[in-house]
This record gives sequence, structure tokens and C-alpha cells, in this order.
Amino acid sequence: MSLFEGLRFRPGTTFIHRLDPRVKLATSTMVLITAVIHIDIVIILFLLMLESLVILSAKVQNLWIKTIRGALPLVAIVFAITFFSQYSREPVISTGLGYALTYSLRLLVFLSSFSLFFLTTTPDEIALTLQQLRVPYEYTFAFVSAIRFTPVMAEELQIVLDAQRARGLEVDKGPFTKRIRNLIPVLVPLLVNVIRRSYELAEAMEVKCFGASRKRTSLKQLNMRRKDIFFLVVVLILFSVGVSVKLLGLEPVKTLPLLGQFFPA
Amino acid sequence: MTIIQVRDLSFTYAGSSKPALKNVNISVERGEFVLVVGPSGGGKSTLLRCLNGLIPQFYEGEYSGKVFVDGLEPDKTPTYMMSQVIGMVFQNPQNQLFALSVEADIAFPLENLGLARDEIIQRVEEAMELLNISHLRDRSPFELSGGQQQRVAIASVLAMKPKILAMDEPTSFLDPLTAAQLLSIIDDVRKRLQLTVLLVEHRVELAAAKADRIMVVSDGCVVFDGSPRDFFEFYDSHLYGVSAPKVTSLTKRLKTHLEKWNRVCLSAEEFEAEVRSLVSHL
Amino acid sequence: MSAIFESVHYIYPSKVHALRGVSLEFRPGELVALMGENGSGKTTLLKHINGLLKPVKGRVIVEGIDTRTASVAQLSQVAGLVFQNAEEMFFESNVFDEVAFALRNFGYSEEVVRKRVEWALKFFELDTYSSQSPFLLSGGEKKRLAMAIILAWSPRIICLDEPTIGQDSLQKEKMKHMIKMLNTQGRTVLLATHDVEFVAELRPRVILLSKGEVVADGKCEEILTDETLVKKASILMPQLVYAFKRLEDLGFDSRVLDVDEGVRQVLKVLRHESV
Repeated sequence: MSLFEGLRFRPGTTFIHRLDPRVKLATSTMVLITAVIHIDIVIILFLLMLESLVILSAKVQNLWIKTIRGALPLVAIVFAITFFSQYSREPVISTGLGYALTYSLRLLVFLSSFSLFFLTTTPDEIALTLQQLRVPYEYTFAFVSAIRFTPVMAEELQIVLDAQRARGLEVDKGPFTKRIRNLIPVLVPLLVNVIRRSYELAEAMEVKCFGASRKRTSLKQLNMRRKDIFFLVVVLILFSVGVSVKLLGLEPVKTLPLLGQFFPA
Repeated sequence: MTIIQVRDLSFTYAGSSKPALKNVNISVERGEFVLVVGPSGGGKSTLLRCLNGLIPQFYEGEYSGKVFVDGLEPDKTPTYMMSQVIGMVFQNPQNQLFALSVEADIAFPLENLGLARDEIIQRVEEAMELLNISHLRDRSPFELSGGQQQRVAIASVLAMKPKILAMDEPTSFLDPLTAAQLLSIIDDVRKRLQLTVLLVEHRVELAAAKADRIMVVSDGCVVFDGSPRDFFEFYDSHLYGVSAPKVTSLTKRLKTHLEKWNRVCLSAEEFEAEVRSLVSHL
Repeated sequence: MSAIFESVHYIYPSKVHALRGVSLEFRPGELVALMGENGSGKTTLLKHINGLLKPVKGRVIVEGIDTRTASVAQLSQVAGLVFQNAEEMFFESNVFDEVAFALRNFGYSEEVVRKRVEWALKFFELDTYSSQSPFLLSGGEKKRLAMAIILAWSPRIICLDEPTIGQDSLQKEKMKHMIKMLNTQGRTVLLATHDVEFVAELRPRVILLSKGEVVADGKCEEILTDETLVKKASILMPQLVYAFKRLEDLGFDSRVLDVDEGVRQVLKVLRHESV
């Protein structure tokens, strides 16, 4: 459930929360691109620091930690693989560690860039963003519906599980093959419910004129304010600096050998 | 002024051998409150869906007869046009709410129709105020109670300003207290907006006294169409899957025992009035 | 005792304190109605009986077993729970296997399984549907199948969560009959329900719950006619009780739970006064 913690329903009140979601989306994208084009520990650390600033000012550090915690095994794997592949090419521990650190931190930056977006934007705002970015309404609707009905389905899963357990189903006992078979009494009713729900929803959609007009309007609208534009400009400047540093080959030194000075060979 | 006219309507769902509706003939006047009752599977829901076009457009099958709803023919008119004349509220509150906030949900059909933003904002406010849910505007549907959800569903439908409101067992999932409150609010809204209401409901005691007419649909036929009082007095409602309000059963018996007992009562209030009037004449 | 609740507290992971110090005793063969608004704790209480939920504080003892020491499968064998929408739990391709599922889980031999399934299907008049798909049954038949599934292994305690929801009068009549039969068989029957008229017809022991606490426990006639209690538990009074309460000043007794009693009273008052 920790991933879903990120999709809260009520807007937060910090500066970051109140930013126009399009600006946040653009920022996340730019951070991601910068991280992709650089494999320089200093840049990565700088990005991580910027992200931390954002996290702290948005006061979402606890939620962020929860989201990241799920990805830690992945980060550890990346660390290990990078270290060993580098070490096999150049058996110097410090270099190996340096690369491994860089790549795993880079992964962290990737994950954080978009998780920050989701942690500080309500699903409603995300839907509005998609709409104003001219994404066809069917996709936005599918997205919103998925979020809308996830808690409902989670509840249903619990109900079905309870009912089948009351019929003697034991879900955590027995050999692997039996446990797989034991999923059938849970999955079939869930599926049937999903199908039944789809019919009911489709009926309600018909009755609520879904697809009636090609030119769909909307209740709310996203408006860029001065602070949104200001923030965007700052981010654009940083982004262009980051890109030009790469293009001009001005990476803050081949820092990896430097790192070697701190680690005994 | 007749707003709904049904002539010789028959319908059999695709893949079924038994007709769900057999030669149904009814007419409803503007502003009437019609209670539709009958045994489960008898055809009540089917009848409702024939009025807003879901049958035969959404549910395929063998369809014959003529239906006119405010001059429109549901079998030939696009459902989005029918929805602006006859709004429909379903049983399960959860499965009629789509958006992530109450406000967004009520706006949903209006957005679909492509109305101007100002119009949408105004209609949403009015609908919320009507159903007394303005304070819930930012809440997500999942957080709401069943009763609140149904109110949002009703508001969403009323935002389209239909002349008729059709409801298919809207209190099924609610506890009796909430159900009573919901029906009371529906009655209020109906009077305020002069709506024509068709209510399919098992909990007859909550609506019998308020309804102008009762229609009993059993085995695909309309077996009774008239005043609720007459139905309960002259028929054994239980045979049609309809639980008579206890007060009604009581007064029906009293009528046979006491010559001076005037009428079969549909509510506790009516019963009280009858008793007091009889006692004062002693 | 069939089941005992000793100062049971239960708090959901969402921090909702659903049961607050509930202490109750259920005697074998009792017919009990648990009433209260949505969220009062009725379903939570029922789930403690077959071990789906274990108390956070206090304990629940069912047929002599402390629920904290037994699995749901073990407890379900003595305490069956028929959920509100049990008709949505079907998954087998035929009715026979649907009923046999629980019996096979409990480890009965195939011979015994067959006997019990046949008995249960016959009892609920579903034997002709034995090889049919449960999904093709009508609404009423599905509800009977849901009961047959639980009855098949003959638990001593049966819990029913909202058995009359969405039913017409004929289906409710059948349900009332089934419940009475279960009770006559000596089983302890617990009903969690809103349907106050249905309860008035059954005259069970009534327990009122409000916000996780027991606010009343006793005879149906006494509790459902008590205005304060009814208000506290946010339930509706039976219509006759409500009607006669409004006439108390004329000498009527509001403890009227059935039409016969109502007729008797009205005749008494009206004929008496005319003398």
C-alpha cells in the first residue's frame, strides 16, 4: 500500500503543493533528463540535494521514505551489479564503489523525481493536467477511474477473502501448488464482481451522457500564476546549465579518480 | 398533462426465452409521484430502463410497442438526450460515482454535455444546495456514507435539470433511518422542482403515504395501477411480493371489525388522525 | 455457553475503535438480533465469532475455544457466518461443488461430503440444480444456496449478516421460516440486521449496539418499544410501536409488536368508550 500513499486526495498547503501541476510535471521531467544524461557523482548529488530541499519544504519526508523503502532492494541490486561489472573491468575497489554509488544514487534520483510529483499533486490535479495537455479524455477517465476504484476493490478483496476463509479456505498453508490453487476461490468472485461493476458503471456512464459531446468542457481549470512562472523559470535555468555542462564537457572533473583518494586501494 | 405514455410495450432480454415485459400500457401525468413495486425479477427495473432508452439501446433484445417520454421516443433518441429529460439513479451508490470529489462528480454529466464553465459551476452549486451536500464538495466518494453517496448521485442527475426522476431501489444499501431521510429529501426536492418521480422501492412504508399512485409489476405485467390505498385495501399485497406497512395491515383488519372505521391508513400519522377522530366522536 | 465475549475491544488498522469493552454471553439455541446503525460494530462482532478478527483486548470464547488460539478454519466448523452478499462468493462450475468446497476444506471423506451436500441442497430446495452453474440461479435461489453452503457442515452457531437486504416480502417470509427452523434444530442463531419489522416478527433477544458499545440487551418487546434506547442506537422503531406511542395519551399501550395486538387494543379502546 505504500505506493498508494502517494496518491492522496486532499491538496496539501505547502508552496510546492500549491504549484501548478504542469510546472511540477515539467520539473520532474527535467530532473529526470538531467539525471539520465549525466553520470557524474557531483551532479547526481546536487540533484539529490535539490530534491531533498523540495521534499523538506513540501513536508512529505515521511511519505517519501515509505515510497522509497519499497524500492531499496532494487537500488541494492543496481549497486551490486554495477560494482561487480566495474570491478571485473578494473579491479580497483574505490573505482568500483564510486561507480556503484553513482548509479544507485542516480536510480534514487529517477524514482524521486516522479514520486515527488505524485506526492504533492492530488489525482484530481493530475487528471486536470492530462486534460489540459490535450490527452484524449478516454485515457484521463481511465486513469481517474483506476484511482477511484482501487480502494473499493481493495475492500472487496478483503470481503471475498473473509468469506472464503469462513468456508475453511486457508491461504497461507500448504505447498506452493496448493496455495496457487487456493487463489481461485478468491480471484473468480473478484473477477465476477469486476465484470458486474463494469456493467453498472457503463450504465451509469450512459445515463450521465459520457461521450455525448466531442468538445468536453470542465468545471475546473489550471491557471499559471506568477509564482508558478517564476519557479518554472528557475528550473529552466538550472536545467539549461545542467545540459550545457554535459554538452560542453565541463563535468565537475572526472570525480571518480578523486574519490579514490578517500578510499584505501 | 401526460408526460409518459407506454403502449403495448413488450421486451425480452437477448438470450432469454421469457419476456421481461408483456404488453405494458401505462401513462404518467406531469408531477406525479409513482411508486413502482412488485416481486424481485418481476420487471420493475426493466420498465424503468425502457423509459430512458437503456432498453433497447444498452440492453439488446426483442422490443415492441411504443414509448413516449416528454414527446421523445427512448428507442430512437440518443441516451444523452433522454438523460436531460429523465434522470436515473441506481441501487448501488458506489457504482454511480466516478470522480474523485463530490463537486467533480456532479459536474461530470455537465462536462460530458459540453456546457459552458459558468453554467456548470452554477448548476453544481444549485444541485448541492438542493440535496444539502454543499459541505461535502471536496470529499472523495469513497469517504462518504451510503446515504451521502446516494445524495451525490441524485444531485449529479438533477444537475441536468430533467423533468422526471426515475430511481431503482435507491435505498437498498442504506439502513432504515438513512433511507427515511433520503426519501424525505427526495419528496422535498420533488415538490420544489415539481418533478415527476418514479420510485422502485421495497420499503413501501417509507413512501406509500407520499405517493400519488402505485404500480404493481409482477411477471412482466402491470397487475395494478391506481391509488395506494385501493391497492392495499382490495389486494393481498404479500402475494405480489409487497410488504404492506404494518399500520396498513392493521387498519385493513379494523375496517372489517368496525363499521365506523373509515379508511385503510398508509402511515402512522394517518392512523393517529383516524383514531383521534373516532375517539372524539364517542 | 455457546459464545462468550469478555470485555472485548477491537481497533481496525485504520484506527477505528469498533468494539469498546463488549461483554456478552450467548446461550446454546438462542435466537439473537444485533441491531444498530452502520458502523455500530455489528459486523465486527460477528467476525469475532469465527475468528476472522481477534480481539485486541479481552477474549472471545466460542464453544469452549478461545478464538485467539484457533484458526478461522477451525472456528468456522462450529460457527458459520453467512455474509451480507454471500451470493457474490460463488466460483465453482456447479452447485454441488460449490457446497462441497467447505466440506472438502474441512477434510470430510468424499462419501460424507456427498451425503451432506445432498442433504443441504434438499433442505433448501435446490437439489434439482445440483449440476447447474451457481451463477445462473435467480436472486432468491442464490441466497438459499449461500445458506446451504454454510449449513452443509452443520455448525452449532449460525451468524447471518443482514439476511433480508433487498428482498421482497415473499423472500423475507421464506427467510423467516428458515431462521425459525434453524433455531428449532437447536442452533444458536445470531442476526445482524437493520430490519426492525423483521425482528419484531421473530421476537428474538435483542442487543443494541452503538459506536462499539452495548447499549441494550434484553427482550425484543422491551427494547424496541423504548424510545430512548432506539434513539441512542439510531435505529427506527417498528411502525406500530411508533404509531401507538403517538396515541399514549388516549390510553394506548405502545408495546405493540404485531397486528393482532394492535387490533385488540384499538377495538378495546373504541368499543369501551362507546359503552
